[in-house]
Amino acid sequence: MSDAIIRTERLTKEYGRGATLTRALRGVDLEIPRGSFTCIVGPSGHGKSTLMHLVGGLDRPTGGSVWLDGQEMFRLGGRQLAALRARKIGFVFQFFNLLQSLTALENVETALMLAGVPEARQKTRAAELLALVGLAEKAGAKPGQLSGGQQQRVAIARALANDPPVLLMDEPTGNLDSAAEAEVMAVLEELNRQGKTVILVTHSSEIAARAGNLVRVRDGMIEADPAV
Amino acid sequence: MTPGKLVFKNITRRRGRFIFTLLGIVIGMASFVTFMALGGSLKSQIQKESAALGANLVVTPKGSCAYEQVSILTGEQLPTTITAEEVAAIRAIEGMTAIPYLAERSAIDNRPVSVMGILPEETLRFKNWEVAAGSYFPSADAEGAVLGSVLAEQFELAPGSEVRIRGTLMPVLGVLHETGGKDDLTVFLSMPAAQQLYEQKERVSYVAVRVDRLDEVDLYAMKIKDAVSLGVVSDKQMLGSVLSIVGTVNMTLQLIAAVAILAAAFGIVNTMMTATYERKREIGILQAMGATRGGIFRLFLLESGIYGLLGGLGGAVLGFAASFVAAPYIGQNAATSFVKGSQTSIDPLLFVGAVLFSTLVAMVSGLYPAWKASNLSPVEAISYE
Repeated sequence: MSDAIIRTERLTKEYGRGATLTRALRGVDLEIPRGSFTCIVGPSGHGKSTLMHLVGGLDRPTGGSVWLDGQEMFRLGGRQLAALRARKIGFVFQFFNLLQSLTALENVETALMLAGVPEARQKTRAAELLALVGLAEKAGAKPGQLSGGQQQRVAIARALANDPPVLLMDEPTGNLDSAAEAEVMAVLEELNRQGKTVILVTHSSEIAARAGNLVRVRDGMIEADPAV
Repeated sequence: MTPGKLVFKNITRRRGRFIFTLLGIVIGMASFVTFMALGGSLKSQIQKESAALGANLVVTPKGSCAYEQVSILTGEQLPTTITAEEVAAIRAIEGMTAIPYLAERSAIDNRPVSVMGILPEETLRFKNWEVAAGSYFPSADAEGAVLGSVLAEQFELAPGSEVRIRGTLMPVLGVLHETGGKDDLTVFLSMPAAQQLYEQKERVSYVAVRVDRLDEVDLYAMKIKDAVSLGVVSDKQMLGSVLSIVGTVNMTLQLIAAVAILAAAFGIVNTMMTATYERKREIGILQAMGATRGGIFRLFLLESGIYGLLGGLGGAVLGFAASFVAAPYIGQNAATSFVKGSQTSIDPLLFVGAVLFSTLVAMVSGLYPAWKASNLSPVEAISYE
């Protein structure tokens, strides 16, 4: 067996029933190599986000299986799945989804709290993570006082709270201008160099071109074998 | 970051909504605490008056009802239907002490006061009064008034000054030591003087009886009923019936307060539901970061609990303050006249109880919104625009 951190088998997802039945995924077999920089690309509405949600354990499939680091995810109960998610995957979304009432530092601290890090150690660790994404000096700023690129970097720092092996991102630069996009991509490439498996769903062909591993999704299926 | 801090940041980010929801609970709890505090002090004051009466049995006009019994404890005016012959017949029974009272009202400086006709010597012994200033009635039919301590202070009266009772100016003979009961608010006259002043020839309002042997109270009640055709109640019966009236009044007031609290509880439900919808996306993020359903549920429940805790604290403080302010203004009728000046302490049990109750109500109110929040699927929460 190859060293895949994520593997899916005949993964299907259907929404609705009868006349309104939508088959978002129609049997996806996918392997994402450990330590890769993988882009999932494809037209809107063809199942990219659904695939990402399933791979991340945010949603449950209609059929098929997903293995995350050797663990079959959907055999787990809700609580164990939440724990696995917290330990193995850091999520970053298109809309930065920071908690607006908290500062950058506090946003990262909240993730550390959920990861079970005692309060006394949270501040130092959160500061380290912000430094890692180049935002050490913005620790006290609220999301409203940060640029889009900076907010997304805070979201990345937050996703790293648990030191997860996988970073899973849905259009992380979809809302950013090209300068901010470059900022974020630089951080992601650096993290990938440090050994994180980076998976991102994107529309951008420029970003896709930088990926080591490309997955094309069309009509709920993988279009061609990913070039490794 | 701790769950508590996170909740506090969430709760205070919409200051206006936070304050208005909180005010709802504060007002609901304040009305509850006010009514409880007043009701509680009313009850303890009645028990004190009953003890101060010093009687095991009270002989009342035939067919007297609970209202008259309340009046005996509060010093209201009472019908004077017990004749001198009946008093003599009661006093002739051996093994007990019987003290007649004539309960009337007058006004000093346009403020109503109780006026009591008494048998000076017997009542002094019966009640263990002590004279604080001046002298006591020199004879059984002496003219002049002896005053309760609070009343004397209130109207700035002292031995040597004069007081006008029912249009007649009379000298103040003395002032009694404080008793802590309604005697402190009463003008005492000798029985003959009072009967003349109020044109009640040889008649009295009620007779207080103390038996020598407490275990024979029922026997003496029978003896009195045999001797005269009047009503006889034991102090326990009287206390019981008065307390049951007070209990009904209290319960009505508490019911009103309960409605206020219920309305506040729905305010919490509403606020928390809004918060759930507003933070749908954040809930998804927390879930993606590894928060379990139980964790989300607890965060939201904690948030509504904080409303209850703060509302309970504010309500208790405001409620006790209101009960102190309200007590002196409460009406002049028999059932509430006890309250005057009786609200002097904060019952710590009521304070703590109110805060706990409020927290509990708020958390129960938060159950449904918390359940809704925790049951959002992460994908649904994140996809929410």
